Amino acid sequence: MSLRVAIAVLLLAAASAYGQAPLRTPTLLTPAPIDLSGVWTPYRGGRGADPSLNPPPPGPIVLKPQYAKPYEDRRAAEDAAVKRGEPLATAAVSCVPYGMPRMMAVALYPMEVIQTPRQITIITEAFSEVRRVFLNQPQLPIDEVPPGYYGHSVGRWDGDTLVVDTVGIKESVLSYQMLPHSSQMRITERIRLRTPDMLHDQITIDDPVVLEKPVVYTLAYRRMPNYKMVEFVCENNREYVDEKGAVRMRVREK
Amino acid sequence: MFDTAKRVTLVGTVTAFEWTNPHVYIELDVPGEKGAVKHWSVELGSPSILMQAGWKFSDVKVGDALTAVINPLRNGEAGGLLTQVTLKDGRVLGNGPGRGGAQ
Repeated sequence: MSLRVAIAVLLLAAASAYGQAPLRTPTLLTPAPIDLSGVWTPYRGGRGADPSLNPPPPGPIVLKPQYAKPYEDRRAAEDAAVKRGEPLATAAVSCVPYGMPRMMAVALYPMEVIQTPRQITIITEAFSEVRRVFLNQPQLPIDEVPPGYYGHSVGRWDGDTLVVDTVGIKESVLSYQMLPHSSQMRITERIRLRTPDMLHDQITIDDPVVLEKPVVYTLAYRRMPNYKMVEFVCENNREYVDEKGAVRMRVREK
Repeated sequence: MFDTAKRVTLVGTVTAFEWTNPHVYIELDVPGEKGAVKHWSVELGSPSILMQAGWKFSDVKVGDALTAVINPLRNGEAGGLLTQVTLKDGRVLGNGPGRGGAQ
């Protein structure tokens, strides 16, 4: 046994003696082709906007027949409620966060992207939601991910595009356009800089149980160079849902 | 909930200004006829959205006299959604860009 091997054996023995896994040799990290770090806000075009930077229009939504009718009925009820001026409640009225994928574009709330060699963290301002994208790791089988609001996300670089795969979203967390989904939903994002200050996130939602074919849409963001994210603690929620499902506001007597 | 087709102008005195999430609120005492005072609760967007429109947490203080234009609650209760406010110092502020709160 060479000296080097002997030392390695001793180190392994010492580690196991303390009930710890042996130290792993650090792997070489591939440098990321671009840095997405910064604060970004949903970009919705507007006067003077460059139309070439607008995201492509969203693709069609085609649900399996058994899900299509209830979905269409609910959307019709929501539209009618909005026309009456009494919009139906959403989970957010009760201060419940949006979860994936809706958290990726809430009104004009910014999001912060923090990029490190092993992880990309996305923090949105509305409800202070947090996603963690683990880089260069295999995705877990869906059945091994505890269902949650953000699921389990892994990412890898495909050229200058960050490809993120997310599974494990709780079924009660409504999807894009308030779509229902099953535990088998998979969200694939292709995130890239269109310009140094313009980010596009092409989102593909695949759900073999609910969707006839994947739904694809693209979100656009513009960089907010000097913006400091602010906290969002949902502490003073005076809105509530009445017995008919409509949103109400508590007023004060004085 | 709010009747966006209607506008009510409230001229009153601030009894509370709550710079909170998911919404900011202005509580306002509004003198009516014969000296009666009616209290109103006025909902604004969230601090984040308001700050993007130039608001500061210190823009309103208890005791300030201000004029608020609101979309009133449809159910007739004394509350509404702010559309525009004229502050004590004469500045006029809206309810933030976009839709307002996170709901």
